Amino acid sequence: MTAVLDPVLEVAYPRYLHCLDEADENGAIDVALTLLDCGVSADRVLLSLVAPAQAQVGQWWQRNEWSVAQEHAATHISERVVAAVATTVRTRPTRERVVVACLDGEWHALPARLVAEVLRLDGWDVTFLGASVPSPHLVSYLHRHDPRAVLLACALPMRLPHAFRAIEACRRTDVPVLVGGRGFGSDGRWASKLGVAFATDARAASSVLATPAFDAPASPLSLDATEYDALVAARVELIDLVLDRLDLGRYSPTQVDATVADLGYIVDALAAAVYVDDPSLFGEFVGWMCEVLDSRGVPLHTVALTFDVMADRLRDFPRAHRFLLALRPAA
Amino acid sequence: MNTADLDGSESGGRQVPVTATPDRPATAPSAPRRTPPTAGQPALVDNFREGVVVTDSTGVIREFSQPALTLMPGLLAGRTFAGCGVTPLTAGDLTIGERRVRCRRVDLTVAGDTSIAWYVEDVTDAIARSDALLAERGRARFLATASQQLGNPLHEDRAARAAVRLAVPTLGDVAIVVLATRRGRARWWRAGGDGPALVDGGVLSADELPPAVAQALAGTEPSEADWLADQLADVGWLGARKPGSVAVRVASLPGSASPTGALVVVRDTDLDEHDVQMLRGFAARAGAALDAAVLYRDQAEVAETLQASLAPIEPPRVGGVQWGAAYRPAQSSLRIGGDFYGAHEQSDGSALFYLGDVSGKGVDAAVFTGQIRQGIQALRRIESDPARLLTLLNDSVLETTRAHGHGRFATMVLGRAHPIHGGGLSLTLASGGHLPPVVLRADGAVETVDLRGMLVGVVPDPRIASVTVQLAPGETCLLFSDGVTEARGGVHGEQFGAARLVAALEGCQRMPAPALAERVEQVIGDWLGGRNHDDIAVFAIRAVASCVPARHLHAVPAP
Repeated sequence: MTAVLDPVLEVAYPRYLHCLDEADENGAIDVALTLLDCGVSADRVLLSLVAPAQAQVGQWWQRNEWSVAQEHAATHISERVVAAVATTVRTRPTRERVVVACLDGEWHALPARLVAEVLRLDGWDVTFLGASVPSPHLVSYLHRHDPRAVLLACALPMRLPHAFRAIEACRRTDVPVLVGGRGFGSDGRWASKLGVAFATDARAASSVLATPAFDAPASPLSLDATEYDALVAARVELIDLVLDRLDLGRYSPTQVDATVADLGYIVDALAAAVYVDDPSLFGEFVGWMCEVLDSRGVPLHTVALTFDVMADRLRDFPRAHRFLLALRPAA
Repeated sequence: MNTADLDGSESGGRQVPVTATPDRPATAPSAPRRTPPTAGQPALVDNFREGVVVTDSTGVIREFSQPALTLMPGLLAGRTFAGCGVTPLTAGDLTIGERRVRCRRVDLTVAGDTSIAWYVEDVTDAIARSDALLAERGRARFLATASQQLGNPLHEDRAARAAVRLAVPTLGDVAIVVLATRRGRARWWRAGGDGPALVDGGVLSADELPPAVAQALAGTEPSEADWLADQLADVGWLGARKPGSVAVRVASLPGSASPTGALVVVRDTDLDEHDVQMLRGFAARAGAALDAAVLYRDQAEVAETLQASLAPIEPPRVGGVQWGAAYRPAQSSLRIGGDFYGAHEQSDGSALFYLGDVSGKGVDAAVFTGQIRQGIQALRRIESDPARLLTLLNDSVLETTRAHGHGRFATMVLGRAHPIHGGGLSLTLASGGHLPPVVLRADGAVETVDLRGMLVGVVPDPRIASVTVQLAPGETCLLFSDGVTEARGGVHGEQFGAARLVAALEGCQRMPAPALAERVEQVIGDWLGGRNHDDIAVFAIRAVASCVPARHLHAVPAP
């Protein structure tokens, strides 16, 4: 749990978590607005109350202590809290316009929303386009409004190849691109691999935006996507190969869907790791997935089996084959 | 000069035919020795393009040909190069006087006598030709890159910024683009200025503009004049540069009707004819890019206005009801489509709500949804009962579609929510051939409402089904379009189907309506996995405590 130092915040934090647990929107808003009344700054409320609570919710979900429905409800309430804080503390924009958006297929909007609000508090004229913004929509928005920069959030590393396509599309509008989110690695190492500017948090983003030299679009990067493309082409076949080896008769329809989705995630994470040529991307994903599956009582030998089947099929894929062999979890 | 019977090796390492070398004595020393050709036929050697100077091993010149003398006037036999006042030769590319020379050295040993032959070729013209070719290629490449990069941004300011950034340093050390004046003001962008930013800019009123720039904006090529630089210095565009030390050129950026702007380049050296040509080529491309950006802006403005009128409207705040909506049109750049939803508060405190889908896709379908929504908006004032309202709407739609002859129709669920005394909502739902809604009960169960009916806008007096559903506080009714259940995804592109929707909603009874609608959108998004989809619309109606307490309790003591 994130350390909450301020005594006022220390009292408020458990109350806030309780409101999330009870899906009590009004209560949660009250906790946040009371803090503002007590003189806690808006960005501290956002970054030291809402953000750590959301991280906590994510952990509860990961450990299967919360259902996905509870997580969705809590996220929604936190979004309402952010909106309430933003309307209470109105700031007149004194700086240029920036656009904040989550990439297509990215539903984890809250971290980006927090960044947007902190930038707004910092005087930027922020437009938040929300979760899962389709690239054509984003690009036409950029053409239309010519912002100082566009900030793109990516929470899931497996979405990196898609993120890169969207980044390229934004760059073609000549608007500078700044990225953030855990999808680019905790230290942003995959952002530098993709040749795009990265900010660790909202405050870092604000100072990058304030740098006059942050302007020219980076020179186009040539990534060798041959193996990635081949892997994407083999996606369905890989999933089918694993499904054939599972005793699906014993699965409920929901379990079959969940298994198919998980297999899809494995292939996508593997493909993303191949794309940026970094096994640690796949390694982090496998560790996370094993924890999630384990907490839900899914036997890990199915994961090991999946790795064996895929490694067997992907003998001609040097990177993918190497990653699968190196990261196969013990059955 | 024939070297067939000579012996030696070039400085470049190439072996020349060998007859005798110091380390490999001649095999036939008695072979008849030919007279050196230079002695007998100087004309032969003198007409080669390459000149030759032969020295002995100590560097004293023995003989030379005419081309060598032309390159190095002052050559004299019997002296060293230095003795003739000529820079000694070395193998490789040299500059002699103003000429570019390629020089080869060949060591010759003839009958034990060692001499050095220096072959010199004047390559000045060849180099100039290849330099010109390279420069031409460079200019072509620059213009090709410029075309490509200038075409990218579709915003006027962004295109202007890209133009100045590209122009430096190839066209000038400083480049300024001034956009055509609008309402008496002209925006300008500059690259290569003194500030930390790559590109800076500002605004000038029309009468502050340097006259040469105003002239270019009016479409006439400004004359070259010394005071051009002074004009720029007056508006501060030269920064720290002195007007006397720079060359300035101004070009208009041609647009389809009138110039879209003017390009000013400032550099330390004067522009030659090629530079000016390249400047014009660049200006033509930048002008076209700005023209396209302006055109895009005008059209985007129109499209945006129309889109705004067709996009779903935020449902009004109604006591006891919490709305939640999600909308994802098939054509993501349009943000409008053939699905529609909405809600209105009635004068009696009840709320009308609807979600539907029209036949067809894209802009045409969106326009039709606009007509339907306007129809509901008008008819709700005379009729509050969902089934009767739907019948009236059917007649109105039928009339319009017949008049336009486009044969469009719609499916929809139209409902009315009454607050129940003591909490909860009573919903009256009517269906015009739409997918039946589902209800999330307080215990987590998901029920499908039994509701059918005929399409709206196909036949007069259709059969419209109607049903009443009670929602206890915390219970939710969810309307959705077929884009949800018919979303193709999974491994092989199978339909999402109603069963998966019900499964996704089970256990979600505590979710606020907006979160629920978002959840359906997200589950469908994950199911699609990036595949194309039809318009997707979800509209959730949740019964909540009707007297929502004030959001903020002001009198909270500090903990």
